[in-house]
Amino acid sequence: MATPTISLPQGVRDILPEEAARIGAAEAGILSVFEKHGFRKIVTPLLEYVDVLSLGMGANLKDRVLKFIDPSTGRVVAIRPDITPQIARVAATRMRDHELPLKLCYNESVLRYQEARDGKSREVLQIGAEYISEKASASIDAEMIIISIEALEIIGLRDFKIDIGDVGFLRAVLDKLPVNDEARGMIKDSIAIKDTSGLEAVLAGFSMPEKDRKLLMNLTTFYGEEEVLEKAASFSKDAESIKALEYLRSVVDIVAKNGLKDRVTIDLGEVRGFDYYTGIIFEGFASGVGKPILSGGRYDTLLARYGYSAAATGFAFDVENIIAALERSGSKKRKG
Amino acid sequence: MGQDVLTIALPKGRILKEASVLFKKAGIDITPVMQDDRRLIFEGIAEGLRFMVIRSQDVPTYVEYGAADIGIAGKDVLLEQDKDLYEPLDLGIGVCRMMVAEPKELSEEDNPKHWTHIRVATKYPNITLRHFLSKGIQVEIIKLYGSIELAPLLGLSERIVDLVQTGETLKKNGLVEVEHIMNITSKLVCNRASLKTKPRMVKTLVDSLGKAVAEAAKL
Repeated sequence: MATPTISLPQGVRDILPEEAARIGAAEAGILSVFEKHGFRKIVTPLLEYVDVLSLGMGANLKDRVLKFIDPSTGRVVAIRPDITPQIARVAATRMRDHELPLKLCYNESVLRYQEARDGKSREVLQIGAEYISEKASASIDAEMIIISIEALEIIGLRDFKIDIGDVGFLRAVLDKLPVNDEARGMIKDSIAIKDTSGLEAVLAGFSMPEKDRKLLMNLTTFYGEEEVLEKAASFSKDAESIKALEYLRSVVDIVAKNGLKDRVTIDLGEVRGFDYYTGIIFEGFASGVGKPILSGGRYDTLLARYGYSAAATGFAFDVENIIAALERSGSKKRKG
Repeated sequence: MGQDVLTIALPKGRILKEASVLFKKAGIDITPVMQDDRRLIFEGIAEGLRFMVIRSQDVPTYVEYGAADIGIAGKDVLLEQDKDLYEPLDLGIGVCRMMVAEPKELSEEDNPKHWTHIRVATKYPNITLRHFLSKGIQVEIIKLYGSIELAPLLGLSERIVDLVQTGETLKKNGLVEVEHIMNITSKLVCNRASLKTKPRMVKTLVDSLGKAVAEAAKL
């Protein structure tokens, strides 16, 4: 038999001792913060049945799952692309009799198919925390954001921001628009890239209340600091979006009361992220690293898909992006 | 990439001239960038801004990775490369259109509605593929890097997909436009992390350029 070329499939790699040590140190720091706040670590399996996993996966992830047929049963199994649906499954089944709140954390890798030409990782190392409670509350959302900041500070990252949005706000506006799903998708895509002129062109094709049009057009500029909330409030007439804004304000207020105001930015036009998010969403960004270092949000309907009605919120750090951010800030310091 | 500096990637060539007019209206004089075509990075032109001049196709890459905070790129390049960037401002410059064109003789008896399988030469394989796939037309794409108009003349392909500004080049080569794919302009693009970590600086620049664009549109 001919010797194969000794290589690896695209998008995966080895991590050698020096880097593994750096990763290990960052993970230990983050896990210590999770533990301090009462989160207990669990380990979920690498493989799941696709139909079970699909209960908790949005369309944007389903296309990026590596699946195959389990030879022993003939059923389609997948390598997990996201840990949160797994936690939802565990909480809704095996841990059902545990008292709420349930605070769980994990440190695992997920696999997501990427375009081959990208050369980006398919395997993503994650450390995350999930907070499952009876009801949603702004103080829990704020606590999760504060924990994420504390964890980043403990591992030595200085230059970062947590960007907070609320999918409920946009959804309240979008869902009521008298347009079809295709148009809704185009509107959402334009808002996602803050493309004001593209959005204007899409909206021109539909008749809608002038106040809605104005609000949508402004969504592409509702990013920045606290002032965004006031600006958004002045444009919102609809009860549901006002409610979402008030919720967001209480979250931001609690974070600010903890002396972390400077860490926070606000973006009401952010529509990225998983389909299962229902309220507050947030992402972490470090100066000089183009990709988010963490992302998370509230998902109050995900557990119900596994048969358990409970509210939940959580986030995960992207470990490799965190290491990149740490190296970046380290080299800046050395240069003086 | 410093905390108090925005790095802006400008594309070489025609768009750079049009962009400099907009920057000037916004109170930022980038004449030094235009005058020195050997230097790649320009600092000290305007407070808090750093400019670099690179190939237009490279702009989205620099911005996606955060090597530049902001860039100027044609919608053609953005759609072809499909990067995850914000596009907060249409600059209204570099106006042209993406078209399907074919030789005049062929067009006289040709109806695009009847196409099922065609061969197309283009610089934009992704845009071309998406356009024809969405219409259920099988397309064989020949990727070229320049002089696309030559392909039908020499029988390399029957048709081409390319940018058309005035239509003069097509005409000279005996080609006519048979299908309009989309209108193209240049856009201001922004790295996601830059917009989040320096929201005020980004907003200030977008606003002042936005005013310049509105002013230019009035003329």
